[in-house]
Amino acid sequence: MNRIASRAMVLFLLVLLLLGGFVFFLAEYLVKADDWVIFPGSPHVYTGGNIGCGVVVDKDGALLLDLNEGRRYSNLLPLRQSTVHWVGDRYGSISAPSLSYYAAEMAGFDVINGVYNYGQTGGVAELTLSAKAQMAALEAMGSYKGTVAVYNYKTGQLLCAVTTPTYDPDNVPSFTEEDEAYKGLYVNRFTQSSYIPGSIFKIVTLAAALETDPDIVNKTFVCRGEYKIGNEEITCEGAHWEQTLKQAFCNSCNCAFAEIALQLGADTLTEYVEKFGITKQVSFDGITTAKGNFQIQSNADLNLAWASIGQHLDLVNPCAFMTFMGAIANDGKGSTPYLVEEIAINGNRTYDAKRNSGDRIMSKETAAILQAYMQNNVTVKYGADNFPGLTVGAKTGTGEVEGKKPNAMLAGFVDNEELPLAFMVCVEDAGYGKTVCIPIISKVLTAVRESMD
Amino acid sequence: MDGLFYTLQTAQDTYFNVLVGILRYGAPVLAFILLLRCLKPLLTFRREPEIWAWLCLEDGTKLPITHWENVIGRSKRSDIVIDAPTVSRSHGVLTRYDDGSWTVTDSDSSNGVLVNGKKVKIWALDPKDVITIGGVNMRLEPISQKQEQKLAQLRTKGSSFFTSLLNLLILTVYQALCCLAYLMNGSQETAQSVLIGFAGIAVMEWLLLLFYVCIHRTSFEVETIAFFLCTMGMAAVAAVVPREAIKQLIAMALGVATFLLVGWSLRDLERAKKIRYLAGVAGVGFLLITLVFGKEYYGAKNWLEIGSFSLQPSELSKVCFVFMGASTMDRLMKKRNLILFIAYSVVLCGCLALMNDFGTALIFFCAFLVIAYLRSGSVGTVALAITALAFAGVVALRIAPHALRRFASWRHIWEMPLEGGYQQTRALMCMASGGLFGLGAGRGWMQYVFAADSDVVIATISEEWGLTIALFLIFAIIGLALFVVRAAAVGRSSFYTIGGCTAACIMLVQVMLNVLGTVDIVPLTGVTFPFLSNGGSSMICAWGLLAFIKATDTRQNASFAVRLHKTGGAVNE
Repeated sequence: MNRIASRAMVLFLLVLLLLGGFVFFLAEYLVKADDWVIFPGSPHVYTGGNIGCGVVVDKDGALLLDLNEGRRYSNLLPLRQSTVHWVGDRYGSISAPSLSYYAAEMAGFDVINGVYNYGQTGGVAELTLSAKAQMAALEAMGSYKGTVAVYNYKTGQLLCAVTTPTYDPDNVPSFTEEDEAYKGLYVNRFTQSSYIPGSIFKIVTLAAALETDPDIVNKTFVCRGEYKIGNEEITCEGAHWEQTLKQAFCNSCNCAFAEIALQLGADTLTEYVEKFGITKQVSFDGITTAKGNFQIQSNADLNLAWASIGQHLDLVNPCAFMTFMGAIANDGKGSTPYLVEEIAINGNRTYDAKRNSGDRIMSKETAAILQAYMQNNVTVKYGADNFPGLTVGAKTGTGEVEGKKPNAMLAGFVDNEELPLAFMVCVEDAGYGKTVCIPIISKVLTAVRESMD
Repeated sequence: MDGLFYTLQTAQDTYFNVLVGILRYGAPVLAFILLLRCLKPLLTFRREPEIWAWLCLEDGTKLPITHWENVIGRSKRSDIVIDAPTVSRSHGVLTRYDDGSWTVTDSDSSNGVLVNGKKVKIWALDPKDVITIGGVNMRLEPISQKQEQKLAQLRTKGSSFFTSLLNLLILTVYQALCCLAYLMNGSQETAQSVLIGFAGIAVMEWLLLLFYVCIHRTSFEVETIAFFLCTMGMAAVAAVVPREAIKQLIAMALGVATFLLVGWSLRDLERAKKIRYLAGVAGVGFLLITLVFGKEYYGAKNWLEIGSFSLQPSELSKVCFVFMGASTMDRLMKKRNLILFIAYSVVLCGCLALMNDFGTALIFFCAFLVIAYLRSGSVGTVALAITALAFAGVVALRIAPHALRRFASWRHIWEMPLEGGYQQTRALMCMASGGLFGLGAGRGWMQYVFAADSDVVIATISEEWGLTIALFLIFAIIGLALFVVRAAAVGRSSFYTIGGCTAACIMLVQVMLNVLGTVDIVPLTGVTFPFLSNGGSSMICAWGLLAFIKATDTRQNASFAVRLHKTGGAVNE
């Protein structure tokens, strides 16, 4: 019997195996439960593809969407239209990646209580967006297609980001695929599009030049209306004659920038484009933006010259370029935009945005010169009276698109301690940046400013 | 009228929310107290050595005999060590019987066992008989009737009646709360079924306790644990298929009947040894019948349909297998019996392989390993068996695509959430949603997943009652297994110890495959959780196995499977 009794210990082995396996599971549970709980098949969290519980409000508490029981949107038509690309529609045609991203926090998940909460209503997600600014931006965009966005470059809060065309999720229009007016209706252009930048790319070339050779500010450039590269040429709309770097930037002189680009060389310019994060994807709150593009075909000088002024194969994503503006405005070190400020359930905060500051991408000196030059553009060219009471620096662009009117582009910032705003305007099939974009951003900045008071 | 109904509904909602709020913490606390009260005496009872006889050697030394079955041999791990080169390592076995008589058996020793100078195979001993083992003469001197009575009085008592009563009261409160929660959150049509289900368990457990009182047994821990598991099983039924509550209750009643029947057959070792052959035949018979007449569901041909009644005979075979595996020490010492048992196991596993029932085959195999080890003590044999299985497994996987698919999704469930990983991904999602304290009775989504009341039942419980309760369910089974190991030290007969260990092993392996399969630590094999999973055959099997565990309990007045001892105070039967 003694032998059998000691051999009975073999059961310990099984017990250990069982316990070991279960402890392994518990470890997995601790680490991965928040992923499991937001598994797309979970009826606790989703209804019909989009997150199905919780409430979404703007930065001032205005209701954008109540996800409980069939998605109730705001009762303001322009607010529904201007935010549907952020909060999603009823049928999953427009997804809301950032709401799904915080599904666990919205459902109130924690490893102790699971998704249990009294009454099961879910949390309140406060976005950084301002409802007033959204509506003003939608109105300012009018019938144009494109996007306009403003963010706080000190904190990263995305205060306004509207994409057009849009529609009312409570009253879905019927349209066909070919319908030009509805092309790209479901796309959030701010995060998912890439535009030919045109002259706003000169900011990048200028920044690269200043970083490589700070003495370039003392150089002068002579523009005869054309700049020969081999048998081909880069042209301006007229000759600018002799000009300083500042003037060349203000004139948006293609010839001068072609010259600068050739001095920099393709490798150096590519290196800085990368360093400035112009073509990089920006990630925040479960959103990853579209990639930009910068490459110089067959390494030809002509292609390099075109690329340096935002043509050739250049593509930029509005969000990424706006982030670049933020870095310039914030003395060379910007912050990544974000959309979700905080999530709370019954007053208990389940998520709080981490204010991140990005890496330094250029020297303070370069940033200062860029700020001054861009502000100079506004005073000299665009009209400071468009921005009453604000010091604004900006650069317009005209992205030439084959077979269409050019894209009107505008990128810039407000130099103000209380209003640290960077902005980006892209308007498709529109014309000149100055005539189209300046009035839009003027209205939007006014609305944002009001919302911040 | 509508308004009134609405008011009632909302009022009920509010009450339900409050109840859930309380139960989230109340249920784990009650369960913890209950388990602690049940497991503590099982795992800490005093195991004093009992002396049943003295072995008197020629030189005057007296060796105490502390078990009912004792191996005499040269090996240091024998119960009675006689260190002489002429003595075999395991030479013979001294066995005590219920009536106090003793036998000596020769264990295929090289020099044989002599009684009064004559070589014997087995001999009923008289105190005057002289036993010669390897040239050493000795005499067995049993303790007197009086000494035996004293021994019985000294033996650790099982828990008192009042302890058992209090435990059962706690369990009944728990059941009442459980039932209330499901009634409040369930539909009107199934309310009756759920109520009968829970109330039925309560009635059954009290009747069983009453029966125990009548036969002067007071220890009820093992049974209370089983009823606790059954209660949570009923909760899963109420959540997933409330209509089947009564069916499950009937299965439980049959289970308890099986428990008593198996227990009764184990009471008398001589009877148990005879029933063993019957069980052996029945074990193979069940499987053969299934093979011939069985129905195939989800790839495994393990269902037998008789009219509207369906059953899984392989579950019943498990109980038979435990019977076959158990053996008394005198038989155990003979190689021939081990070989016969191996042959029997091969036949059983072969049947299961033909039935394509991978999970059950694995359980039988683990049980076989444990029995083989307990019997032979040889790690080598076991290693050999495992290697053989590994080869067989590889071959089986090559030819059975059904089984292979299961392995394909293992640890890759998130890549195939709509195919092989469907149940497990939902299970993990639901378990995570439930957290440590659950979402409340009937509030889970797991109920819509296939086999939510059986193969992945732990996720259903975990979602609605919390991971804590799920953990307690696992601990309950582990507790039973540890009790068996602890009781082995004072085991009367190897028949009980092997039986108890095998039963515990089967339960452990089932829990392992069920729980770890559900959470994707091991492949999901569709094995039931003892007492918890919905299913008649599985329930009956679990209770049958429990009888073997109960039979290892040697405490005074504890187990009905052990005869009461003729003691001064205790009642004679």
